[in-house]
Amino acid sequence: MPRISWGRVMFLGVVLIVLFLLPWIVSNRFYLRLATEILIYGLLAMSLDVLLGYTGLLSFMHAVYMGIAAYTVGLYLKHVDPSASIWLLMVLGIGATVLIALPIGWLQVRTGGFAFALLTIAFGMMLYTIVWKARNLTGGDDGLIGIPSPNVNLSSLVLADCKDPTSIYFITLIVVILCFYLTRRIMRSPFGAVLESIRENEERASFVGIHVHRYKLWGWMLACALAGVSGVLFTIMKCSVSPTVMDPGAGGSVLMMALLGGLGTLWGPFLGAGVFIFAQDYISTMTEHWMIFLGIFVIILVLFVPKGIAGFRETLFRRKAE
Amino acid sequence: MPSDLTFWVQTIINCLGLGSLLLLIAIGLNIIYGINRIVNLAHGSLYALGAYFGYTLVANGLNFFLALVVAPIMVLGIGLVVERSIIAPIRTRPMLYTLILTYGVSVLLDGLTKYFWGVQPRFISTPSFLSQTIHLGGIPYPFYRFFILIITFGVMAGLMFLLGKTKLGITMRAASNIPEMVSVLGINMNFVHVLVFGLGCGLAGIGGVIAGPLLTVYPMMGSEMLISCFIVLVIGGLGSLRGSVIAALLVGTVQTLGYVFITDYAMVVVYVMMAVILSFMPRGILGEGKFE
Repeated sequence: MPRISWGRVMFLGVVLIVLFLLPWIVSNRFYLRLATEILIYGLLAMSLDVLLGYTGLLSFMHAVYMGIAAYTVGLYLKHVDPSASIWLLMVLGIGATVLIALPIGWLQVRTGGFAFALLTIAFGMMLYTIVWKARNLTGGDDGLIGIPSPNVNLSSLVLADCKDPTSIYFITLIVVILCFYLTRRIMRSPFGAVLESIRENEERASFVGIHVHRYKLWGWMLACALAGVSGVLFTIMKCSVSPTVMDPGAGGSVLMMALLGGLGTLWGPFLGAGVFIFAQDYISTMTEHWMIFLGIFVIILVLFVPKGIAGFRETLFRRKAE
Repeated sequence: MPSDLTFWVQTIINCLGLGSLLLLIAIGLNIIYGINRIVNLAHGSLYALGAYFGYTLVANGLNFFLALVVAPIMVLGIGLVVERSIIAPIRTRPMLYTLILTYGVSVLLDGLTKYFWGVQPRFISTPSFLSQTIHLGGIPYPFYRFFILIITFGVMAGLMFLLGKTKLGITMRAASNIPEMVSVLGINMNFVHVLVFGLGCGLAGIGGVIAGPLLTVYPMMGSEMLISCFIVLVIGGLGSLRGSVIAALLVGTVQTLGYVFITDYAMVVVYVMMAVILSFMPRGILGEGKFE
């Protein structure tokens, strides 16, 4: 049994308490919405961390898998059953994402690291284009608006009314914490170790007898499934979906969040999402040329702080040692 | 399916035109990868910059052909600055960081382009003899597409000469094979890297100026062209020049036909084709790493 560091436990406890008490700490509804958004994108960034930080596969358009789930849920709520239960929506969203991600992933994992990244761009653009151009189904540029909010019901017990930002925040928080914990357990298992070995040295891993393609595919599916969860949460929170959720800008943003927060940690990306969303919010009120800042930001990040916030201590140590 | 001869001749020449444009830009990318082992995601942005520079030069009165020379030189300059200051320092790090870094550069360049030129599409006016319509056996055709073919052909011929007959070119080919040997022989690899990167950027710039009158100059042109170029590279085989030629013609044809028959979802067909090819030939048609 590993020694439990009580300092760590206390820190974790404080964080959890703050998170759960947030609606009462923060008086402004806007910040609560922002927090929910940060949680959702943090989850998406974490899923990219699973893909990139642990398995070593770079994807520039990971946001499309959030988009697929978001659109599926949105369409279902709008056209089929406005009062669907959230559990069903989760299954639908994750299911749709997994269904589409599977064949794409199967094709993609057969290629090397760089070709993989290109294929993610190509397939991502393909999905984005399809969603964008299918105006009859998805509303094109305008997207789906006025999606009804589902109710969260545990059998006949009404847990929360989704029109209330506080309950949406809590649902998001619980789902995200659950996903985080699950992913952590998975990554700390032998499966996670295999993924990391593939990241480190694919050839050697195959020499040891690891079926590299298969594990890469599993890593990919896990990442996409988590992205699907974030997509479902997104639609529930926003009550609308538009193609910008899955455009190249979104794909790049998720990558930035994951990098900024620090790859290979699972919790880093949440910090990255927080900083990124705050910064984006702040900068977009000042200028519409946020791209310039984003570009400079990425360049500085890669050149000087490649490990992100989570790895900042490590970067600092390395600098001191030099 | 129109059985009109006019339609088909025009379409074929359109395919060739787009294919050669793709080839021109993809070659630059391929060279940089083949010799420098750098994936330059900013290539599309540099191409767009070439088009915007060309627009500004021509709009201010410069002759189109002069702009065709000056604009790529400007792009080359910017490319060199980027290479020396940003890309060279991380040469030793894993390729992942290069990818992300050049991605950042492309975002920065795109943002600067939007800042200086705005989001409205721009048009490059060409001298009248270029924009005229010629007739082949009674079939009218805009001369400009032929011009693209001519330029690409000229550039390719120049490249073949450079790589095949000049000492510099042979050095480059050697560097793509075993860089260590080349530096052991006393050749400054840094110099080679800079030269190659400049060459690639210059090609992107030329491509931009040429594409301007054809596709108009608009902010998204860089990203769209980049994706098509990557598809060309991946299909033809990274680092293989001959593969790029075949792949460029293939992608140009499929894309053009796609736009003619399906418009909106044309690119989807291209993506599917790439997926199919890659699943059977993951290294591309002519295989990776053969720089010839």
